[in-house]
Amino acid sequence: MRPILLQGHTRSLTQIKYNAEGDLLFSVSKDHVVNVWYSHNGERLGTYNGHVGAIWSVAVNSTSTLLITGSADNSAKLWEVRTGKCLHTWEFKTAVKRVAFSEDDSMILAVTEQRMGYPGSVVILSLNQDIDAKQSDEPITTIHPEGSKAMVADWGYLNKYIITGHENGTISQYDWKTGNLIQSIQPHTAEITDLQMSEDRTYFITSSKDKSAQIFESNTLSPLKKYVTDAPLNSASITPVQEFVILGGGQEAMHVTTTGARQGKFECRFWHKILEEEVGRVKGHFGPINTISVHPSGQSFSSGGEDGYVRVHHFDQDYFKFKYPDL
Amino acid sequence: MPLESTPQKHSWADEVGEEFDQLPSDNLTEEAGIKTVIEIRTNDEGKKVKITRKIKKTLITTHVNKAVAERKKWEKFGEEKGKKDGPDLSTTSVGEQIFLKLSTTGKQAEVTEDIDSAKKKLLLGKKILCRICKGDHFTTKCPYKDTLQPLDELTTALEEVKNPPNVEAAPAETTTGPTKYVPPNARAGGKTASTDSYSKERRDDATIRVTNLSEDTTENDIHDLFRRFGSISRVYLARDRETNVCKGFAFVSFVLRDDAAKALQAINGYGYDNLILRVEWAKSST
Repeated sequence: MRPILLQGHTRSLTQIKYNAEGDLLFSVSKDHVVNVWYSHNGERLGTYNGHVGAIWSVAVNSTSTLLITGSADNSAKLWEVRTGKCLHTWEFKTAVKRVAFSEDDSMILAVTEQRMGYPGSVVILSLNQDIDAKQSDEPITTIHPEGSKAMVADWGYLNKYIITGHENGTISQYDWKTGNLIQSIQPHTAEITDLQMSEDRTYFITSSKDKSAQIFESNTLSPLKKYVTDAPLNSASITPVQEFVILGGGQEAMHVTTTGARQGKFECRFWHKILEEEVGRVKGHFGPINTISVHPSGQSFSSGGEDGYVRVHHFDQDYFKFKYPDL
Repeated sequence: MPLESTPQKHSWADEVGEEFDQLPSDNLTEEAGIKTVIEIRTNDEGKKVKITRKIKKTLITTHVNKAVAERKKWEKFGEEKGKKDGPDLSTTSVGEQIFLKLSTTGKQAEVTEDIDSAKKKLLLGKKILCRICKGDHFTTKCPYKDTLQPLDELTTALEEVKNPPNVEAAPAETTTGPTKYVPPNARAGGKTASTDSYSKERRDDATIRVTNLSEDTTENDIHDLFRRFGSISRVYLARDRETNVCKGFAFVSFVLRDDAAKALQAINGYGYDNLILRVEWAKSST
């Protein structure tokens, strides 16, 4: 396969995300710009300008009309996808590290950083679907996780609860109405870097700096699968069609200049989801892979790296023909 | 244009040149789904350039979501505002070809091996040897049973023929007669110094040319066909540059010349894909 290289960013990528149909790909980086691309040919549709700090996170609603971004300029912004117009800005005390739409798009969550005397928090906000409507600044709930700060978060199925991943490797389940902790486990020994839901949100995958990725059941948080690699992981994603997970990472950016590219382990690793066995690798990035996203139909996947590139890979026919022997 | 250098004919040459410029001869030919456009134009240095472009069109129909089709018509905004359709080269480029080779490790392979060894245990003490290819399966199960003559018949046939190329190759190494000058690197002592050119020569020696192949032959087919004669170092299958179909011939390099000779003997005249193959020694291009 020949990957499409997207050079819309001047600094390292922080998150990329496909919309529900997979025809649009949103990318955010530390250079203050949000880009949207057509995923089939890599054509840039537009940019969303307005943030004045590094952007940490992006999320799009299921009808691809509204986009939210969380930035280090202490704000989260709501954008109209089609025109690039900023519709609303929510101000916070600290940087917004993660944003996510609820399953019915009626709410959003924003994870804020613990800094300057302010505790880290997860803020739940209601959202009016109408583009011209005025959005409320008043949060439904504000959750202050005790102990380690939250890094990533997402919604459970039917908005039953939210799941958060923490700096010390803890995964927690919170009731978003009351802000109470339902249950908590500590499966990782280091920072959780990514948390992605399965299509039906009944299970999710986490990646961690402790060089492993794990799959958990959403309801009980019981660990289902574990993938142990030899490099710190920054992102993990579940593929439809084939039963794989894609893991990405590599050594820390600060160590890159002191070691060779081959030792960097800047490859997307394909693991068999069920058998927990590595099946293949895709190389190409010159730096650690910060974020991976899989097309909802499973036809392609994209990776964004510390090197500022997004690489869109459309799978060859061989990929779909691949079968595990005796399975 | 050599005529321009002579001043007397200057104007005449110019006239001809202009005529050419006014009539850019766009030649269109269509063959096997490939459109060829030939264009002659003058470049910045005043030289005439012939540009040949080959375009292959394939029509692929896909059904897309209505919302997706709608979004494709959206106007660009932000930094892309007002730019024309299609990917912009400043932001979008195509990377180098990369391969995702999916494979399984040990676990599964071990299981199948166990089944094989269990079957063999039943036949312990009896040696299974295929009469055709000398593999450890029954002759009836040989993949070549309908197509090839048994190997031992072949080798005896070879011995009878006395295989002239082998004889030719031998004296070059052994006879170092005083009458003929032998360069230092070809002498017995200097052999090690020139292993490179020496081994290269050997490889050419062990190369055979297979012709009259059918259009849909692939490298793998060639490998399958010649593998049983010995280890193959290289297979080159000539393909058409545009259509990528086989041009009808291939070169197969064996590691050993003896293996190549065996293959030549066996496959020459062998029916493959309804065609009768012709195999001969590859002639060196120099």
